Amino acid sequence: MSIRHLWAVIRKELQHILRDRGTFLLVLVTPTLVLLLMTYSLAVEIQHVPIALLDYDQSATSREFIYQITAGDDLDLYQNAASMEEVEDLLIKGKIKAAIIIGPEFSSDLLAMRGLSLQIIIDGTEPETGGFAVDHIGWRAEAFANEVLAEQILASGISLDSLEPIDLRIRSWYNPSLEPRVDIVPGLLSIVLGFPAFSVALTLAREHEHSTMEQLLATPISRIELLLGKMIPYILAGLVNVIVIPIIAMAWFNVPFNGNFIEFLLLSTLFLFAELSMGMIIGVFMKSQSAALALSFLVVLFPGFFLTGIFFPIAALPEMARMESMFLPGTHYAIITRGVFLPGIGIDTLWPYAIMLVILGLAFTGTAALFFKKKLA
Amino acid sequence: MTNKEFIQITDLTRVFKDNIALDSINLTIQEGELFGLVGPDGAGKTTLLRTLAGLLGITNGEVRQAGYELHKSTEAVKSEIGYMAQEFSLYGKLSVLENLRFFGEMYDVPAQIQKERIPGLLSFAQLTDFTDRRAAKLSGGMKKKLALACTLLHQPPILLLDEPTTGVDPVSRREFWTILNDLHLEGTTIIVSTPYMDEADRCSRVGLIYQGKIVECDSPEKIRGKVDGEFIKVVTHDWQKAREIIQPLKGILEIQTYGEALHILVDSAAKHIGRIRKTLKRNELDITEIRIVKPRMEEAFISLIRKIDQAN
Amino acid sequence: MFRRILALVKKEFLHLKGDWWLPAFMLFGGALELLAIGWATSRPITNLPMMIWDMDRTAASRDLVISLENTGVFAMTEPAESMETIQDQMDRGEINAAVIIPHGFANEIDTIGGEPVLQVILNGAESIPAREALRAVEGVVRSLDEEITIDHLGVNPDLFKGFDFSLRVWFNEALNEAYYTTPAELALMLEFTILIFAALTFSREREFGTLEQLLVMPFSSIEIIIGKSIPVILVGLFDFTLMLGVVHFAFHVPVRGSIFLLFGLAFMYTLVELGKGMAISVFSKSQHQAFLLVFMVGMIDFLFTGYAAPVESMPKAIQYLAYLVPAHHWLSIMRGITLKGSTIIDILPNILFLLGLGVVIGFFSLRYIRKALD
Repeated sequence: MSIRHLWAVIRKELQHILRDRGTFLLVLVTPTLVLLLMTYSLAVEIQHVPIALLDYDQSATSREFIYQITAGDDLDLYQNAASMEEVEDLLIKGKIKAAIIIGPEFSSDLLAMRGLSLQIIIDGTEPETGGFAVDHIGWRAEAFANEVLAEQILASGISLDSLEPIDLRIRSWYNPSLEPRVDIVPGLLSIVLGFPAFSVALTLAREHEHSTMEQLLATPISRIELLLGKMIPYILAGLVNVIVIPIIAMAWFNVPFNGNFIEFLLLSTLFLFAELSMGMIIGVFMKSQSAALALSFLVVLFPGFFLTGIFFPIAALPEMARMESMFLPGTHYAIITRGVFLPGIGIDTLWPYAIMLVILGLAFTGTAALFFKKKLA
Repeated sequence: MTNKEFIQITDLTRVFKDNIALDSINLTIQEGELFGLVGPDGAGKTTLLRTLAGLLGITNGEVRQAGYELHKSTEAVKSEIGYMAQEFSLYGKLSVLENLRFFGEMYDVPAQIQKERIPGLLSFAQLTDFTDRRAAKLSGGMKKKLALACTLLHQPPILLLDEPTTGVDPVSRREFWTILNDLHLEGTTIIVSTPYMDEADRCSRVGLIYQGKIVECDSPEKIRGKVDGEFIKVVTHDWQKAREIIQPLKGILEIQTYGEALHILVDSAAKHIGRIRKTLKRNELDITEIRIVKPRMEEAFISLIRKIDQAN
Repeated sequence: MFRRILALVKKEFLHLKGDWWLPAFMLFGGALELLAIGWATSRPITNLPMMIWDMDRTAASRDLVISLENTGVFAMTEPAESMETIQDQMDRGEINAAVIIPHGFANEIDTIGGEPVLQVILNGAESIPAREALRAVEGVVRSLDEEITIDHLGVNPDLFKGFDFSLRVWFNEALNEAYYTTPAELALMLEFTILIFAALTFSREREFGTLEQLLVMPFSSIEIIIGKSIPVILVGLFDFTLMLGVVHFAFHVPVRGSIFLLFGLAFMYTLVELGKGMAISVFSKSQHQAFLLVFMVGMIDFLFTGYAAPVESMPKAIQYLAYLVPAHHWLSIMRGITLKGSTIIDILPNILFLLGLGVVIGFFSLRYIRKALD
């Protein structure tokens, strides 16, 4: 392979990129910007879930209960309903995500130890909020019942402690508060660094559309030189983000970075090589930019989003999807980033994934070169 | 293959989806020839040149250039060729100098040699004052000259030029051909396609391509001489009427129009020139000019095409 | 005027025919993608790798492990023999949780007043599965607590019933993940499809150089805009129909409300996004740029739709911004009509917002485009 040819193409690509200020800025900035946006949107702690209460009991006990339920930030009392119809209406209109129906015999049932006469209705269209509501209402109800029943229980000779004999000690490693932002940033890195792949997919089609392909093909440049030369500028753009994003993550989101940065840079380069060559394969097949765009969107973005184990754990995916995810560089890189940021492990542990990235990169580039005919037709 | 048969094309066929663009072309070009390729639109000139440049695949046949077989050593051949596309195909966003440098690198011209050659190329292309101008902002003629300069940087033994002077002003056209002649004298083998018949006249040999086939391939004089018959040029004040009157006369083989003039093909001028004059006068057409003219490339060309069409 | 518009539309379709990959992807890509991804992601979280270090090895500890397995959430790995193994596996991200059962566990359980201890370690590097894992473990522990208290303290079992309440889930009784994820994915795909297609309309012509030609022809700018809009609208509606079909037949998401209302609103939504897309298209200098802008805008919208995280949980200021995002209202409308069987009254606020936004976006886009074209 001729380095002269390679460098000539890289230089030409860079000249073009740099002379189109708007696009250059977008290419450079998009990964980081999207990361910021997505971190804010995805790593939101659920709170202020609006609920409604329908109190058929109207006793001091029930009022005390209502007070306790809504005492914190997690649940917000949107409305005290007067009827089931009202509750239904609120749920349908989406004004509340859950409702608690307090039965007419609530206090008497509770004091007689006959049970909690409560019904919780949740909006199943948002299971996360609904599940959150159930959990929190449940805890509070339990705590409330324990308080109210404290005397009765003591009278029966049982100490409150023995109601929960098992001491469950919970430790969460790397991310003690299980703060979603902390683990999502490394995962998102894997997604946003894939964006330059779109630009790569376009670059061959652009030569076609701008009629420059003809003279280019007439030169003795080899296919590999041409494809690599077109990829490398975008790898560089990606690397800029690799440097900037951890800084932002640490400074802004307090995400710890415990690993070795040089190793991380190296591993990221391997990822970019693999991911962008995926874009190149698409670029080789599509002669028009818009078609290349559309295809890379479907093939790179959405699977990258959903199949790389960032939002949905890979273990939970069906068998076939799991196999597919193995072919996505993003899957392996997500493991690498998670490992480097939080536990702070290095190449010595992560080398299998690095190897996978190299293999994928070579395979994709090879395929692209194979299918790229240096012919106009 | 000896060096004399520098470019050898054997039974070259190229089929696209619904038409045969090149139909069993056989052509041998000697080293150092200045070969002109002419033909109507869609005849296959660009297809042929692109195929020779390695840009299109071959359906059938064989091409050897400078000792390489095109099919087997496509990339190696490209180093021996300088190809200039019909449509402007350089990088509009890059400057004149940047374009030259880019192609210099692509053709493996060492940096030092680039430094030596570029000033000369810029001056012949008259782009010395425009080195930093973006290629997209050049005039049509300058663009073509830049494209030519880019093909010459690596001093290839073979030049394939696809209508290099189309859209160029007459002065620049002249200059272009001066350069081509110089290259020709230096021994470069050149195939140039052109719609201009006067340019075809300046080539060592001319190939006439029509419907994918080479229908004629000889020196310009011989081609001109191949026309069966002689031309009588007639200029009147109403050429349409004149043509109407003369067409039905016996022995009129063909009438070609050139602006106001009619070029009438007859088997023997002496036989017919009197009768034509009389017919015109009888119909009250003033004759500005009537004389025998030698067939030029253009007439020969049109005449040959017509013959083929009639035969089909 | 209609004849001219028709001529434009015909030209657009002819162009598309030559470049048939584009409409093919636009039309079918969305549906295929939805199918693939909907299928892969509309599953509850299961199969989380869990490692157990059982230092007790009694019937009780084994029962505990079986209970954990029975939650259906975990896939047990090879049992651990040491902390190093757990550390190593956790570091590599191979396991999501580990449970350590100390020596003497069963003993403590059997003893009245005993203090059985259990340790669970979560892989915080993946907080979503970690929370699921924690929930499952806590559930198992709670049941075990009940058993112990009932068996060994002779407590009236009804006492524990006292902490139960009845739970009803509306609109999605089976808590089917697909009901929740696929409509949202549909909304997302629809938005992106329309935006991309719309954004390419003018930027393509500009890049090819044919925009000038178009402008010198006797079309008024309104005619050009309408002519270019029609293919996008058609593609958008077709795509929506296809995707709705996928969501309904493949994932069994019902359409409990009025399907006509749904389509009517889909049409309205298409127009709104069309306006945005075309404005981007006119603004961009190349297809590349247009695409990147669409992407950014799309991602910003994604943030506010409430797909990933509920909007109520965001800071108030951002919540207000969410109301300005058409996709946010569209998602509520879609969820409302399909799952809740909402009528117009129920979703009126969303409709009004969508309409309002549509008018504003449409007005400004139109003005901008016309100015740019003239």
